[in-house]
Amino acid sequence: MNAPFYKYGLFQDEVSLVVAFVIGIGFGFFLERGGFGNGRKLAAQFYFTDMTVLKVMFTAIVTAMVGLYYLSVFGVVDLALVYVNPTYLLPQVLGGLILGIGFVIGGYCPGTSCVAVSTGRIDGLVYLLGIVGGIFVFGEAYPLVKGFYFSTPMGQITLPQLFNLPYGVLVFAVVAMALGAFAAAEWGEKKLGSRIVEN
Amino acid sequence: MKQKLARLGLNGRLALIAFTLGLIALFAGNPYQGSQVTLDAKELGIMVDRQVDHITVDELADWIIKGRSDYRLIDLRPENDFSTYHVPTAENVTVAGLTEYPIQRNEKIVLYSEGGIHSAQAWMLLKALKYRGVYILRGGLEEWRDRILFPNIPENPTPDQASLLETMKEVSRYFGGTPQARGQGKDSPASALTLPKLEMPSSGSPAVAGKKKKKEGC
Repeated sequence: MNAPFYKYGLFQDEVSLVVAFVIGIGFGFFLERGGFGNGRKLAAQFYFTDMTVLKVMFTAIVTAMVGLYYLSVFGVVDLALVYVNPTYLLPQVLGGLILGIGFVIGGYCPGTSCVAVSTGRIDGLVYLLGIVGGIFVFGEAYPLVKGFYFSTPMGQITLPQLFNLPYGVLVFAVVAMALGAFAAAEWGEKKLGSRIVEN
Repeated sequence: MKQKLARLGLNGRLALIAFTLGLIALFAGNPYQGSQVTLDAKELGIMVDRQVDHITVDELADWIIKGRSDYRLIDLRPENDFSTYHVPTAENVTVAGLTEYPIQRNEKIVLYSEGGIHSAQAWMLLKALKYRGVYILRGGLEEWRDRILFPNIPENPTPDQASLLETMKEVSRYFGGTPQARGQGKDSPASALTLPKLEMPSSGSPAVAGKKKKKEGC
Protein backbone atom coordinates (compact mmCIF):
# COMPACT_ATOMS: atom_id res chain seq x y z
CA MET A 1 0.00 0.00 0.00
CA ASN A 2 1.26 3.42 -0.87
CA ALA A 3 0.90 6.82 0.70
CA PRO A 4 -0.32 9.58 0.55
CA PHE A 5 -3.61 7.79 1.18
CA TYR A 6 -5.84 10.75 0.40
CA LYS A 7 -4.40 11.21 -3.08
CA TYR A 8 -4.97 7.55 -3.85
CA GLY A 9 -8.62 8.01 -3.04
CA LEU A 10 -8.47 5.59 -0.09
CA PHE A 11 -10.69 7.91 1.84
CA GLN A 12 -12.85 10.87 1.00
CA ASP A 13 -13.10 14.44 2.24
CA GLU A 14 -15.12 13.58 5.33
CA VAL A 15 -12.63 11.01 6.57
CA SER A 16 -9.77 13.34 5.74
CA LEU A 17 -11.28 15.88 8.11
CA VAL A 18 -11.28 13.30 10.90
CA VAL A 19 -7.68 12.41 10.12
CA ALA A 20 -6.74 16.10 10.09
CA PHE A 21 -8.46 16.56 13.46
CA VAL A 22 -6.58 13.69 15.08
CA ILE A 23 -3.23 14.82 13.68
CA GLY A 24 -3.97 18.42 14.66
CA ILE A 25 -4.79 17.47 18.25
CA GLY A 26 -1.59 15.44 18.46
CA PHE A 27 0.45 18.28 16.99
CA GLY A 28 -1.02 20.79 19.41
CA PHE A 29 -0.54 18.49 22.39
CA PHE A 30 3.14 17.99 21.74
CA LEU A 31 3.68 21.68 20.99
CA GLU A 32 2.18 22.45 24.41
CA ARG A 33 4.24 19.78 26.14
CA GLY A 34 7.32 21.19 24.42
CA GLY A 35 6.66 24.54 26.07
CA PHE A 36 5.32 26.19 22.92
CA GLY A 37 2.23 27.50 24.67
CA ASN A 38 4.34 30.08 26.48
CA GLY A 39 4.88 33.37 24.65
CA ARG A 40 7.89 34.28 26.77
CA LYS A 41 9.67 31.07 25.96
CA LEU A 42 8.94 31.53 22.26
CA ALA A 43 10.03 35.15 22.17
CA ALA A 44 13.24 34.28 24.02
CA GLN A 45 14.33 32.58 20.81
CA PHE A 46 14.78 35.97 19.20
CA TYR A 47 17.06 37.13 22.02
CA PHE A 48 19.06 33.90 21.74
CA THR A 49 18.51 33.09 25.39
CA ASP A 50 16.33 30.03 24.76
CA MET A 51 16.89 28.16 21.54
CA THR A 52 14.06 25.64 22.00
CA VAL A 53 12.15 26.91 18.95
CA LEU A 54 15.13 26.44 16.67
CA LYS A 55 15.87 23.00 18.06
CA VAL A 56 12.28 21.78 17.83
CA MET A 57 11.73 23.18 14.35
CA PHE A 58 14.98 21.87 12.96
CA THR A 59 14.37 18.47 14.58
CA ALA A 60 10.95 18.34 12.96
CA ILE A 61 12.40 19.31 9.58
CA VAL A 62 15.17 16.73 9.75
CA THR A 63 12.82 13.98 10.98
CA ALA A 64 10.24 14.67 8.28
CA MET A 65 12.86 15.05 5.56
CA VAL A 66 14.81 11.90 6.38
CA GLY A 67 11.57 9.99 6.92
CA LEU A 68 10.02 11.06 3.63
CA TYR A 69 13.27 10.52 1.78
CA TYR A 70 13.74 6.95 2.94
CA LEU A 71 10.07 6.01 2.72
CA SER A 72 10.01 7.12 -0.90
CA VAL A 73 13.34 5.47 -1.70
CA PHE A 74 11.79 2.24 -0.44
CA GLY A 75 8.66 2.95 -2.48
CA VAL A 76 6.25 3.38 0.44
CA VAL A 77 5.46 7.04 -0.25
CA ASP A 78 5.04 8.51 -3.71
CA LEU A 79 6.89 11.78 -3.29
CA ALA A 80 5.57 13.06 -6.60
CA LEU A 81 2.09 13.14 -5.06
CA VAL A 82 3.07 15.17 -2.01
CA TYR A 83 1.89 18.71 -2.51
CA VAL A 84 4.56 21.38 -2.81
CA ASN A 85 3.47 24.95 -2.22
CA PRO A 86 4.29 27.11 -5.22
CA THR A 87 6.97 29.71 -4.58
CA TYR A 88 6.29 33.41 -5.08
CA LEU A 89 9.59 34.85 -3.96
CA LEU A 90 8.99 38.51 -3.07
CA PRO A 91 5.54 38.16 -1.51
CA GLN A 92 6.76 35.23 0.58
CA VAL A 93 9.85 37.12 1.75
CA LEU A 94 7.64 40.01 2.80
CA GLY A 95 5.13 37.67 4.41
CA GLY A 96 7.93 35.96 6.32
CA LEU A 97 9.17 39.30 7.62
CA ILE A 98 5.69 40.33 8.75
CA LEU A 99 5.22 36.98 10.47
CA GLY A 100 8.63 37.33 12.16
CA ILE A 101 7.89 40.82 13.42
CA GLY A 102 4.53 39.66 14.73
CA PHE A 103 6.24 36.68 16.36
CA VAL A 104 8.71 38.88 18.28
CA ILE A 105 6.05 41.38 19.35
CA GLY A 106 3.26 38.96 20.18
CA GLY A 107 5.31 36.00 21.33
CA TYR A 108 3.41 33.52 19.19
CA CYS A 109 3.13 32.22 15.68
CA PRO A 110 -0.36 31.29 14.43
CA GLY A 111 -0.17 27.64 15.50
CA THR A 112 1.29 28.27 18.93
CA SER A 113 -1.29 30.96 19.66
CA CYS A 114 -3.99 28.28 19.31
CA VAL A 115 -1.97 26.11 21.68
CA ALA A 116 -1.80 29.02 24.14
CA VAL A 117 -5.56 29.59 23.92
CA SER A 118 -6.22 25.92 24.69
CA THR A 119 -4.50 26.33 28.05
CA GLY A 120 -6.48 29.48 28.77
CA ARG A 121 -3.87 32.16 28.15
CA ILE A 122 -5.40 35.58 27.57
CA ASP A 123 -2.46 36.81 25.44
CA GLY A 124 -2.93 33.82 23.16
CA LEU A 125 -6.62 34.64 22.80
CA VAL A 126 -5.88 38.27 21.91
CA TYR A 127 -3.29 37.08 19.41
CA LEU A 128 -5.80 34.69 17.85
CA LEU A 129 -8.39 37.47 17.55
CA GLY A 130 -5.72 39.53 15.84
CA ILE A 131 -5.14 36.73 13.35
CA VAL A 132 -8.83 36.48 12.55
CA GLY A 133 -9.00 40.27 12.15
CA GLY A 134 -5.94 40.20 9.92
CA ILE A 135 -7.41 37.46 7.76
CA PHE A 136 -10.57 39.52 7.37
CA VAL A 137 -8.65 42.67 6.38
CA PHE A 138 -6.51 40.70 3.96
CA GLY A 139 -9.57 39.06 2.45
CA GLU A 140 -11.24 42.42 1.91
CA ALA A 141 -8.06 43.99 0.53
CA TYR A 142 -7.29 40.98 -1.68
CA PRO A 143 -8.21 42.65 -5.00
CA LEU A 144 -5.72 45.44 -4.19
CA VAL A 145 -2.80 43.17 -3.33
CA LYS A 146 -3.56 40.40 -5.81
CA GLY A 147 -0.96 41.61 -8.31
CA PHE A 148 1.81 41.50 -5.74
CA TYR A 149 0.49 38.27 -4.23
CA PHE A 150 1.19 36.37 -7.45
CA SER A 151 4.35 38.24 -8.46
CA THR A 152 7.79 36.64 -8.94
CA PRO A 153 6.37 33.13 -9.39
CA MET A 154 8.86 30.27 -9.44
CA GLY A 155 6.40 27.39 -9.58
CA GLN A 156 6.41 24.31 -7.39
CA ILE A 157 10.15 24.28 -7.01
CA THR A 158 12.20 22.27 -4.53
CA LEU A 159 15.77 22.88 -3.35
CA PRO A 160 17.30 19.98 -5.33
CA GLN A 161 15.74 21.44 -8.49
CA LEU A 162 16.84 24.96 -7.63
CA PHE A 163 20.46 24.08 -6.96
CA ASN A 164 20.48 21.25 -9.49
CA LEU A 165 21.86 18.90 -6.85
CA PRO A 166 21.17 15.21 -6.29
CA TYR A 167 18.45 14.77 -3.71
CA GLY A 168 20.65 12.79 -1.31
CA VAL A 169 23.28 15.54 -1.23
CA LEU A 170 20.67 18.02 -0.12
CA VAL A 171 19.39 15.67 2.57
CA PHE A 172 22.91 15.34 3.90
CA ALA A 173 23.52 19.10 3.72
CA VAL A 174 20.35 19.89 5.69
CA VAL A 175 21.17 17.26 8.33
CA ALA A 176 24.70 18.67 8.67
CA MET A 177 23.28 22.19 8.89
CA ALA A 178 20.85 21.12 11.62
CA LEU A 179 23.52 19.38 13.67
CA GLY A 180 25.73 22.45 13.37
CA ALA A 181 22.85 24.66 14.45
CA PHE A 182 22.11 22.40 17.46
CA ALA A 183 25.73 22.55 18.59
CA ALA A 184 25.84 26.33 18.17
CA ALA A 185 22.53 26.68 20.03
CA GLU A 186 23.70 24.65 23.01
CA TRP A 187 26.92 26.64 23.15
CA GLY A 188 25.09 29.95 22.85
CA GLU A 189 22.59 29.07 25.55
CA LYS A 190 25.37 28.32 27.99
CA LYS A 191 27.04 31.64 27.20
CA LEU A 192 24.00 33.90 27.11
CA GLY A 193 21.39 32.00 29.09
CA SER A 194 23.39 32.00 32.30
CA ARG A 195 23.65 35.78 32.33
CA ILE A 196 19.91 36.34 32.19
CA VAL A 197 17.74 35.44 35.13
CA GLU A 198 14.77 33.27 34.21
CA ASN A 199 11.47 35.07 34.53
CA MET B 1 34.31 3.36 20.64
CA LYS B 2 31.69 1.50 22.64
CA GLN B 3 32.47 3.53 25.72
CA LYS B 4 32.13 6.73 23.75
CA LEU B 5 28.69 5.66 22.52
CA ALA B 6 27.60 4.80 26.03
CA ARG B 7 28.61 8.24 27.26
CA LEU B 8 26.50 10.01 24.64
CA GLY B 9 23.16 11.25 25.92
CA LEU B 10 19.86 10.65 24.14
CA ASN B 11 20.32 13.82 22.09
CA GLY B 12 23.78 12.77 21.05
CA ARG B 13 22.56 9.38 19.92
CA LEU B 14 19.69 10.84 17.94
CA ALA B 15 22.11 13.27 16.32
CA LEU B 16 24.36 10.36 15.41
CA ILE B 17 21.44 8.47 13.84
CA ALA B 18 20.43 11.56 11.84
CA PHE B 19 23.99 12.06 10.67
CA THR B 20 24.33 8.43 9.61
CA LEU B 21 21.04 8.51 7.71
CA GLY B 22 22.12 11.74 6.02
CA LEU B 23 25.42 10.15 5.06
CA ILE B 24 23.71 7.11 3.56
CA ALA B 25 21.32 9.42 1.70
CA LEU B 26 24.33 10.74 -0.22
CA PHE B 27 24.50 7.40 -2.00
CA ALA B 28 20.92 6.18 -1.82
CA GLY B 29 19.82 7.90 -5.01
CA ASN B 30 16.77 9.81 -6.09
CA PRO B 31 13.62 9.22 -4.05
CA TYR B 32 11.43 9.77 -7.08
CA GLN B 33 12.79 6.57 -8.61
CA GLY B 34 11.53 4.52 -5.72
CA SER B 35 7.99 5.64 -6.34
CA GLN B 36 7.70 4.25 -9.84
CA VAL B 37 5.01 1.69 -10.32
CA THR B 38 4.23 -0.73 -13.07
CA LEU B 39 0.81 -1.06 -14.60
CA ASP B 40 -0.89 -3.59 -12.40
CA ALA B 41 -3.61 -5.23 -14.49
CA LYS B 42 -5.24 -6.86 -11.47
CA GLU B 43 -5.32 -3.62 -9.49
CA LEU B 44 -6.81 -1.77 -12.45
CA GLY B 45 -9.35 -4.54 -12.92
CA ILE B 46 -10.45 -4.28 -9.32
CA MET B 47 -10.78 -0.52 -9.65
CA VAL B 48 -13.00 -0.95 -12.69
CA ASP B 49 -15.11 -3.62 -10.96
CA ARG B 50 -15.65 -1.52 -7.89
CA GLN B 51 -16.33 1.56 -9.98
CA VAL B 52 -14.10 3.70 -7.76
CA ASP B 53 -12.85 5.31 -10.94
CA HIS B 54 -16.24 6.90 -11.59
CA ILE B 55 -17.87 10.04 -10.43
CA THR B 56 -21.53 10.70 -11.08
CA VAL B 57 -22.97 13.78 -12.73
CA ASP B 58 -24.63 14.63 -9.40
CA GLU B 59 -21.27 14.69 -7.64
CA LEU B 60 -19.75 16.84 -10.38
CA ALA B 61 -22.67 19.27 -10.28
CA ASP B 62 -22.25 19.49 -6.53
CA TRP B 63 -18.52 20.28 -6.88
CA ILE B 64 -19.14 22.98 -9.44
CA ILE B 65 -21.87 24.62 -7.35
CA LYS B 66 -19.63 24.53 -4.29
CA GLY B 67 -16.89 26.15 -6.35
CA ARG B 68 -14.37 23.44 -5.59
CA SER B 69 -11.09 23.89 -7.42
CA ASP B 70 -9.23 20.73 -6.46
CA TYR B 71 -9.99 18.93 -9.71
CA ARG B 72 -9.41 19.38 -13.43
CA LEU B 73 -12.38 18.67 -15.65
CA ILE B 74 -11.29 17.51 -19.08
CA ASP B 75 -13.63 17.57 -22.08
CA LEU B 76 -12.36 15.08 -24.67
CA ARG B 77 -14.75 16.01 -27.49
CA PRO B 78 -13.75 17.87 -30.66
CA GLU B 79 -13.21 21.61 -30.38
CA ASN B 80 -16.40 22.73 -32.15
CA ASP B 81 -18.56 20.53 -29.92
CA PHE B 82 -16.78 22.05 -26.97
CA SER B 83 -17.46 25.58 -28.12
CA THR B 84 -21.15 24.78 -28.62
CA TYR B 85 -21.59 23.56 -25.09
CA HIS B 86 -19.43 22.21 -22.31
CA VAL B 87 -19.82 21.57 -18.62
CA PRO B 88 -18.73 24.68 -16.68
CA THR B 89 -15.05 24.66 -15.59
CA ALA B 90 -14.15 22.12 -18.32
CA GLU B 91 -10.97 22.32 -20.37
CA ASN B 92 -10.89 21.01 -23.91
CA VAL B 93 -8.20 18.45 -24.69
CA THR B 94 -8.27 15.68 -27.28
CA VAL B 95 -7.18 12.18 -26.31
CA ALA B 96 -4.11 12.50 -28.51
CA GLY B 97 -3.21 15.82 -26.92
CA LEU B 98 -3.49 14.56 -23.35
CA THR B 99 0.14 13.60 -22.95
CA GLU B 100 1.36 17.08 -23.76
CA TYR B 101 -1.33 18.89 -21.81
CA PRO B 102 -0.07 20.53 -18.61
CA ILE B 103 -1.66 18.39 -15.92
CA GLN B 104 0.28 17.23 -12.90
CA ARG B 105 0.42 13.55 -12.08
CA ASN B 106 -1.04 14.23 -8.65
CA GLU B 107 -4.07 16.20 -9.75
CA LYS B 108 -7.59 14.90 -9.56
CA ILE B 109 -8.63 14.57 -13.17
CA VAL B 110 -12.22 14.06 -14.27
CA LEU B 111 -12.69 12.97 -17.88
CA TYR B 112 -15.82 13.16 -19.95
CA SER B 113 -16.78 12.63 -23.55
CA GLU B 114 -20.12 12.34 -25.33
CA GLY B 115 -20.89 8.85 -24.07
CA GLY B 116 -18.13 7.15 -22.20
CA ILE B 117 -15.90 5.31 -24.63
CA HIS B 118 -13.39 8.07 -25.21
CA SER B 119 -13.10 8.86 -21.55
CA ALA B 120 -12.61 5.17 -20.72
CA GLN B 121 -9.83 4.96 -23.27
CA ALA B 122 -8.23 8.15 -22.02
CA TRP B 123 -8.52 6.82 -18.47
CA MET B 124 -6.48 3.76 -19.37
CA LEU B 125 -3.96 5.93 -21.18
CA LEU B 126 -3.45 8.22 -18.20
CA LYS B 127 -3.33 5.28 -15.79
CA ALA B 128 -0.58 3.73 -17.88
CA LEU B 129 1.29 7.03 -17.72
CA LYS B 130 1.06 6.79 -13.92
CA TYR B 131 -1.44 9.53 -13.34
CA ARG B 132 -3.09 8.62 -10.07
CA GLY B 133 -6.37 10.41 -9.51
CA VAL B 134 -8.15 9.85 -12.83
CA TYR B 135 -11.92 9.58 -12.86
CA ILE B 136 -14.56 9.11 -15.53
CA LEU B 137 -17.76 11.08 -15.50
CA ARG B 138 -20.25 8.24 -15.61
CA GLY B 139 -22.52 8.46 -18.62
CA GLY B 140 -20.59 11.39 -20.04
CA LEU B 141 -22.24 14.48 -21.44
CA GLU B 142 -25.37 12.49 -22.35
CA GLU B 143 -26.04 11.79 -18.70
CA TRP B 144 -25.18 15.38 -17.77
CA ARG B 145 -27.84 16.50 -20.24
CA ASP B 146 -30.47 13.98 -19.08
CA ARG B 147 -29.95 14.22 -15.35
CA ILE B 148 -28.66 17.73 -14.67
CA LEU B 149 -29.76 20.05 -17.47
CA PHE B 150 -33.09 18.49 -18.43
CA PRO B 151 -34.09 16.13 -15.64
CA ASN B 152 -37.41 14.32 -15.82
CA ILE B 153 -39.61 15.41 -12.98
CA PRO B 154 -42.69 13.28 -12.26
CA GLU B 155 -45.85 15.37 -12.17
CA ASN B 156 -47.27 13.92 -8.97
CA PRO B 157 -44.31 13.26 -6.71
CA THR B 158 -44.75 11.44 -3.43
CA PRO B 159 -44.03 13.66 -0.41
CA ASP B 160 -40.65 12.08 0.29
CA GLN B 161 -39.64 12.60 -3.32
CA ALA B 162 -40.65 16.23 -3.28
CA SER B 163 -37.62 17.79 -1.62
CA LEU B 164 -35.23 15.78 -3.76
CA LEU B 165 -37.04 16.85 -6.90
CA GLU B 166 -36.96 20.44 -5.77
CA THR B 167 -33.17 20.19 -5.47
CA MET B 168 -32.97 18.64 -8.92
CA LYS B 169 -34.96 21.54 -10.35
CA GLU B 170 -32.74 24.09 -8.66
CA VAL B 171 -29.59 22.39 -9.88
CA SER B 172 -30.99 22.24 -13.38
CA ARG B 173 -31.78 25.96 -13.37
CA TYR B 174 -28.36 26.79 -11.92
CA PHE B 175 -26.75 25.28 -14.98
CA GLY B 176 -29.22 26.97 -17.30
CA GLY B 177 -31.31 23.90 -18.08
CA THR B 178 -35.05 23.28 -17.88
CA PRO B 179 -36.60 20.54 -15.77
CA GLN B 180 -38.89 18.34 -17.89
CA ALA B 181 -42.26 17.06 -16.81
CA ARG B 182 -42.44 13.29 -17.14
CA GLY B 183 -43.44 12.09 -20.57
CA GLN B 184 -42.47 15.29 -22.25
CA GLY B 185 -38.82 14.24 -22.40
CA LYS B 186 -39.75 11.13 -24.37
CA ASP B 187 -41.39 13.08 -27.19
CA SER B 188 -38.55 15.50 -27.70
CA PRO B 189 -35.17 13.86 -27.36
CA ALA B 190 -32.94 15.71 -24.95
CA SER B 191 -30.41 16.51 -27.63
CA ALA B 192 -33.00 18.57 -29.47
CA LEU B 193 -33.54 20.80 -26.47
CA THR B 194 -31.64 24.02 -26.60
CA LEU B 195 -28.44 23.79 -24.67
CA PRO B 196 -27.82 26.68 -22.31
CA LYS B 197 -25.66 29.57 -23.36
CA LEU B 198 -22.08 29.37 -22.31
CA GLU B 199 -21.94 32.52 -20.25
CA MET B 200 -23.71 30.62 -17.47
CA PRO B 201 -21.64 29.82 -14.40
CA SER B 202 -19.11 28.56 -16.92
CA SER B 203 -15.50 29.51 -16.39
CA GLY B 204 -15.24 30.45 -20.05
CA SER B 205 -12.01 29.88 -21.91
CA PRO B 206 -9.89 26.88 -21.08
CA ALA B 207 -6.91 29.18 -20.57
CA VAL B 208 -8.60 30.74 -17.56
CA ALA B 209 -9.55 27.38 -16.13
CA GLY B 210 -5.98 26.19 -16.52
CA LYS B 211 -4.71 28.96 -14.30
CA LYS B 212 -6.89 27.83 -11.43
CA LYS B 213 -5.04 28.09 -8.15
CA LYS B 214 -4.93 25.02 -6.02
CA LYS B 215 -5.58 25.65 -2.39
CA GLU B 216 -3.71 23.12 -0.39
CA GLY B 217 -1.04 22.96 2.25
CA CYS B 218 -0.78 25.14 5.30
